[in-house]
Amino acid sequence: MTAHQATIPETALSRKPSHRARRRRPANRAKRRSSFLTVVMWLCVVYFMVPLIWLFMSSTKDNSDLFTTFGLWFGPDFNLFQNIVEVFAYKDGIYLRWTLNTILYAGVSAIGATLLATMAGYAFAKYTFPGNKLLFSVTLGAIMIPLTALAIPTYLLFSSMGITNTPWSVILPSLVSPFSVFLMRVYAADAVPISLLEAGRVDGAGEFRIFWQVALRLLAPGMVTVMLFTLVATWNNYLLPLIMLNSGDLLPLTVGLAQLQATSAAGGGAQALFSTVITGAFLSIIPLIIAFLYLQRFWQTGLATGGVKG
Amino acid sequence: MSKTIQRKQTLVAYGFILPFFAVFAAMFVAPLAYSGYLSLYVNRLVGGVSFVGLENYARAFEDSRFLEGLGRTALILVTQVPIMLGLALFFALALDSGRARGSRTLRLLIFLPYAVPGVIAVLMWGYIYGQSFGLIAQISSGVGLPSINLLSDELILFAIMNIITWAFVGYNMIVMYAALKSIPGELYEAAEIDGAGQWRLAWSVKIPMIRPAILLTTIFSIIGSFQIFNEPKLLVEIAPTGITQGFTPNYYAFNLAFVNQDVSYAAAIAFLLGFVIMIVSYVVQLSTQSRRFQS
Amino acid sequence: MRHGARKAAVAITSITTVVAMTLSGCSSDADTGTTTEPTGSTDGRITDEQRLEALTTPTNLTFWTWVPGVEDQVALFEAAYPAISVTVENVGQGLDHYSKVRTASQAGSGAPDVVQLEQQFVTSFAVTGELLDLTPYGATDLADDYVPWVWNQVVANGQVLAIPQDSGPLGNLYREDILAAAGVTEPPATWADYKTAAELVRANTDSYISNMAPGQGAGWVGLLWQAGVKPFGYDGGEGVTINVNGADAKEVVSYWQDLIQNDLVSVDADFTDEWYQGLNQGKYAGWLTAAWAPVFLSGAAADTSGLWRAAPLPQWDVNNPSSGNWGGSVNAVLKASENPIAAYELAKWINHAQEPALLFATQQNFFPTKISVLEDPVFAAQEPEFYGGQRVNEVFAGISETVDTEWEWLPFMEFAYTSFNETFGAAVAAKGDLSAGLDAWQADLEEYATQQGFTVNG
Repeated sequence: MTAHQATIPETALSRKPSHRARRRRPANRAKRRSSFLTVVMWLCVVYFMVPLIWLFMSSTKDNSDLFTTFGLWFGPDFNLFQNIVEVFAYKDGIYLRWTLNTILYAGVSAIGATLLATMAGYAFAKYTFPGNKLLFSVTLGAIMIPLTALAIPTYLLFSSMGITNTPWSVILPSLVSPFSVFLMRVYAADAVPISLLEAGRVDGAGEFRIFWQVALRLLAPGMVTVMLFTLVATWNNYLLPLIMLNSGDLLPLTVGLAQLQATSAAGGGAQALFSTVITGAFLSIIPLIIAFLYLQRFWQTGLATGGVKG
Repeated sequence: MSKTIQRKQTLVAYGFILPFFAVFAAMFVAPLAYSGYLSLYVNRLVGGVSFVGLENYARAFEDSRFLEGLGRTALILVTQVPIMLGLALFFALALDSGRARGSRTLRLLIFLPYAVPGVIAVLMWGYIYGQSFGLIAQISSGVGLPSINLLSDELILFAIMNIITWAFVGYNMIVMYAALKSIPGELYEAAEIDGAGQWRLAWSVKIPMIRPAILLTTIFSIIGSFQIFNEPKLLVEIAPTGITQGFTPNYYAFNLAFVNQDVSYAAAIAFLLGFVIMIVSYVVQLSTQSRRFQS
Repeated sequence: MRHGARKAAVAITSITTVVAMTLSGCSSDADTGTTTEPTGSTDGRITDEQRLEALTTPTNLTFWTWVPGVEDQVALFEAAYPAISVTVENVGQGLDHYSKVRTASQAGSGAPDVVQLEQQFVTSFAVTGELLDLTPYGATDLADDYVPWVWNQVVANGQVLAIPQDSGPLGNLYREDILAAAGVTEPPATWADYKTAAELVRANTDSYISNMAPGQGAGWVGLLWQAGVKPFGYDGGEGVTINVNGADAKEVVSYWQDLIQNDLVSVDADFTDEWYQGLNQGKYAGWLTAAWAPVFLSGAAADTSGLWRAAPLPQWDVNNPSSGNWGGSVNAVLKASENPIAAYELAKWINHAQEPALLFATQQNFFPTKISVLEDPVFAAQEPEFYGGQRVNEVFAGISETVDTEWEWLPFMEFAYTSFNETFGAAVAAKGDLSAGLDAWQADLEEYATQQGFTVNG
């Protein structure tokens, strides 16, 4: 479900954050705890956590314990470190290569997409110009386009230019995030007061300088949010690199791990690398979870700051 | 504002949107146009390329694989999407009410699956579903229940729905939760003076107030449902007969283009899919709007 | 990176132009597949001078293959021809690999020089004009060095389209201990015996005599092959023969339907984590499988070492033993290759020179197709402990001689197998009407063939 991943809590941004913190009565309602609700909620959390616990437990087991011991507890041997060594030793350390590729593709795409979206969103929000409405509706309409509709012809176009099987074949298409433009427009409309721009103009600052020195700072919290989610979208992308890349050295983690998993089905040459795949999967989600927990906080303080300033 | 300033600002605005639209034209419009062009041709193993006009589109309407894929998507739309959004709304309201202990931790834990890449989620659940040695089989045999094969041809669709629900409840919850947090406090005060209980409050104040957020998550769930690809692509290894080549429309377009080498028809399918998504999203939007006018 | 950045900038600006060009019908890459035909001696054959020149000119070749450890054979090749360097890429398994090869070779850039293909896909790639005819390069001289039925798989209309690497004649690997516990002391000689044995195994043990994977089209087709069914044919032009639901095929599947519906064989998907466990934990007391499987199995089911034995397939007619084939692959040269002579030499050398060819048999555990390797004592006289010291390779070498040579494939096997899974495979998984499954498969294949412009002969 790739489209989901590109999306952002829009309402969180579009509602005027300024009114939130102050008008809420914080303490009163929160006092009455419900044990019943607490139990229900924690039971539901079990559903979300069990697969992740299973993944951790499984990454501590060797290939045969994987299937013969209970999935939510350790096996007789603690094999985690041995598995990690195997993951990094596989094909001369190609796993590390995949990790670096993923960071490169996701990082460059996220920064690029955020910059493009911020500039466009800012212009849509703060300037009136012929074609404003039309171009904006075109952008909105683009959100609905299914990704394969683009991936196939993009592949054909790229290969006629000889840039398939290069990092650019994954990065270039990921630079376009119509939804991010929409968000930044909504966010810029609230976060950048027109009076500030007028003041800059009176001082004789150029439009681009106003953008870089005044607006960009105000837009930062929105940009972090957009960047976080475009980062996740590229990090998680599977279809595009699957189509575009051939060399094992260029693959991101998603395609690499899926390919590793598929070696178990290669007929005569098949290798059952289940514990390697599982440990590789476990390791690959750690940075993302950490980034999420960390950026989650950043993103929320970002919203709060935006609120105070507004 | 004088005309020169106006013109200067217009130029500046174009300057700001130019980078985005340059890339947009190259990476979005151009492939789309090319795709539209391709969809008017047919490339046969015998006879090669020939212009067929809209024949590929006509073919799609009689193609049982395409229609069955759409049918599966429709089933997901009427079952999985409401369940997923219902759970997300319930969690968001519960956390917003502040009545559960550890709600900050709860919120993060429910959200956590969203940080797991789809590919990994599918691989992981694939093992967990295993009929004899998977976690679910272990648990059900532990409590004396017969093992069910969640990867069987009949159940694989539900297995996929479960993976999607697991991955996206948290995300949708966060969207709704953020919307709830921005409801002005006076509204609650008014309601509480009226003596409204938590359920009343949720039903008559909170939910109406976050309707835009709910609509947004609905639209994105619809778009996402039509674009399901990772799940069938990866599960076909362990459920080879259950995952047919037209299991979902997006997976079908991929198979047509990359396995059957029928790029033209794949382009037509992808185009039709885009239209269907637009129509469904539009209808949903329209129906929620008309409901708002009635009330 | 700097070079790449410029490339990307060029990409963005030129992509619109490319579209405009294509839209206006100015398709410049109409025949990217063609390559400069070698000119030289009057009969079109490559001369020794050309060959020498090609092999001493520094050249980079790309080789797409899923074979693990093939780097060792390639290293031997590079040592023999120091001017040539070879990049080995694994672009995916199964259909992923084939779609990569096709899209790259049709897109006109990024295609490899040499590719790995399963025997069953040679026709499918030949029909789209992607494979280079190796006759001018001297491939016909190799014919006598290979097992005849295998060589037939790479020849079509007088063209040699690939060099054989390995093959997969079908035999029966079974757990001697489980069969003995069930009261079966000899491997079943006929399919009737096999059913009796299956009943005994089911009655006396917790195992199934074997697992018939619903999604394993190539394995099922191998069983049809053994029974003398001729479901496919291709005349090299516009005519295909599709007859997967003939009386002979239905006879074979009705046998299996009986076993499946009486729960005498299991129908789990193969090569999954569950299936590996099934082999390890004795859920399956046997596996009707190809010659590449014995060594694969000794790795995949290492816990059961010493308990397995090999035998020929049970027979329909004991006086006339026969077998079919499942898998086995070849190396082909793509027409898109810019260095066809060197590419041919790579494909030929690693599969024909004795050292690398023998290495495939001993290291990758491929079942050889070259007669001198089959007869090499290093291969034939192996007595693996996993099979209790049985000379398994000898068993399969004997089976290989009973494979029918007149087998043909359809020119669209990728579709044929995915369609198989949806029709016949689904019927197997549902333990349903296999005969109806064949009918559905037949109808689907006919529809596709017609759609693609072929003439279908019954």
